[in-house]
Amino acid sequence: MDRTPAARLASKDLGNFAPPAEPYAPWLFKIVAGWAAFLLALVVVAGVLLLLVRGLAGLFGDAPGQLGGLGESIGNIVALVLIFVMVTATLLTMAERKWSALMQDRVGPNRARLPLPGLSDRPLKGIPHIAADVLKMLFKEDFIPAGALHERLLFTLAPLIAFAPALCLFAVVPVGPELVLFGKRMQLMVARVDWGILYVFALASVAPFGTALAGWSSKNKLALLGGLRASAQLVSYEVTLGLTLAGAMITFGTVRLDAMAVEQAGEVFSILPAWGALYQPLGLLLFLVAAMAEIKRAPFDAPEGESEIIGYFLEYSGLKSGLFLIAEFAEVVVVSGIVTAIFLGGYHIPWIEPWLLRHIGTEWTAVLQVTAFMLKTLLVIWVQFLIRWSFPRFRYDQIMRLGWKMMLPLSLANVVVSAGVFLWAGKQGLAAVGVVEWIAILAFVALTARKPEEPAPAAAHH
Amino acid sequence: MEHAPPAKADLTPGERLYLREAIRGMAVIARHFWINLFGRRDPNPEVMDRKGPGVNLVTTINYPEERKAYPPGYRGMHRLVPRVDGKPRCVACYMCATACPAQCIYIEASEYDAEAIEKYPIRFEIDELRCIVCGFCVEACPKDAIRMDTGTHAPAVLSRPLAVFDKEALLRGPAVEHPSDVMTYRVPLKTVPPPPEGHGGGGKGH
Repeated sequence: MDRTPAARLASKDLGNFAPPAEPYAPWLFKIVAGWAAFLLALVVVAGVLLLLVRGLAGLFGDAPGQLGGLGESIGNIVALVLIFVMVTATLLTMAERKWSALMQDRVGPNRARLPLPGLSDRPLKGIPHIAADVLKMLFKEDFIPAGALHERLLFTLAPLIAFAPALCLFAVVPVGPELVLFGKRMQLMVARVDWGILYVFALASVAPFGTALAGWSSKNKLALLGGLRASAQLVSYEVTLGLTLAGAMITFGTVRLDAMAVEQAGEVFSILPAWGALYQPLGLLLFLVAAMAEIKRAPFDAPEGESEIIGYFLEYSGLKSGLFLIAEFAEVVVVSGIVTAIFLGGYHIPWIEPWLLRHIGTEWTAVLQVTAFMLKTLLVIWVQFLIRWSFPRFRYDQIMRLGWKMMLPLSLANVVVSAGVFLWAGKQGLAAVGVVEWIAILAFVALTARKPEEPAPAAAHH
Repeated sequence: MEHAPPAKADLTPGERLYLREAIRGMAVIARHFWINLFGRRDPNPEVMDRKGPGVNLVTTINYPEERKAYPPGYRGMHRLVPRVDGKPRCVACYMCATACPAQCIYIEASEYDAEAIEKYPIRFEIDELRCIVCGFCVEACPKDAIRMDTGTHAPAVLSRPLAVFDKEALLRGPAVEHPSDVMTYRVPLKTVPPPPEGHGGGGKGH
């Protein structure tokens, strides 16, 4: 690096300017230490969230034995919706770009730097890009096209309607167990309502209004196309979305997500964790696909389709456009939280939970359980991103065919089979069927694939 | 029929089901993700096979901190080739300026008093913004006095006048002497050390 091009030229040195690769051992240490620090940070965050809710409950003087007081609710809204969902969604804007880079053998965004001493030459994993993006959106002109001036109210309302359900959906997701912390009963969950999942379905069907309004009030043909596509797609997949979870409702006998999470403690057949994924393998797969279609993530991003029509938010700029974008990531977090709560055992830690409860107490176990929930959510988010970067966008007719002709019958069959097995053999029977289904799926994927074609052997002898 | 794309019938039923192939495709992407996440980047651009403990598959070069050298034949920034005594080989014959289709070369000739070679340029300017990097000037030069072998491209500038490179900025690089030169120089030239590196206008980039 210290030699100028002319100096290299003079010595006929046309070699490269690359610095040497980092030595292996210190780098390995750095990686391991970094991941340990990340896990520790998650544990700390879990503890802080619990303490925040407990603190606000104390501040408002909630009754010690009563769940869901004013202070606890406000604390939960702040801790879960404003901190957990929003911070994760904000970080996901960068994770989307960084993770996609990793999946495609790239480095990803690393040019934004913090102008601070010692940091000005470090990319910091692209985190400064988030600040740069936010600043850019804040200072952009809030432009309203001439055609939309007549519909100014709807034009402004659309991003809010698209964004609000994403935040509200997380209200029924149980992040932590019910526990007594410093003499106060509490739980990391905003709303303890009897209609848990139904609330999710109800609010999820509000989101199409935002996209449809955005497409219509923009007075732009392409935006209108996007809005129409979004409406048709979301309405179609709502049916499947509801039916895929019917199996889980049958299994756990409840529509409350917190009750479902409680049901998933312990093990089935004394070895497998009693997660919803075990009882409902098909339900998990179908729900994940339907949910990705419902939140318009690629490969179901035909409403956005940035390479054909720009999408329903074509005419939006500045923070309104940012609301649409951040709503998508908030929805990713929410979907992951719901999948975790219903199918991945919620906040339960498999196998070692009784030991933890006996040895480190309810409170510390709760901290670890909240950490486990966050880790599982992160895993599901990662799977969604993996799907998003693996597949090309489905055509509109493919989306409709998949939704109506494949997923709807499959989820109906899942409901019928689940109900039958449940009536015949109860939860144990469902678990047995689930194990068989998992083995069948894994064997099908792993064993039946066509071998890669081997180079033709020399045909000289024949 | 041999050139027809594979028909749907060529797919096995399992492949037409899509699910298995989809999951297998995701497995490929996931493998790349984890290798790249837990691997460190090997910045050497010449590595063809990125394998080994903890080496990821990223081939990015972090330009401009890291640079891959241009290939040896790269037609880059011009330079005025110096003689061994440090003066330009150029005899101000205007052939490069005449050949230039972009008319980006401006030359003003002057005369040596005592040398066998009478003419030399007192001004030799190239507007790198007008230059189309065709290399005709190099071909046209009868004295091998202008070359494009600096291995750098024209640098980015903040105003147009800065892109006009004068004789002092262009006169750089190793001196060149040809056997035929002794017939034109009556006395052997006194060899002087090349000018200190890095003062040229081009090639700094940042």
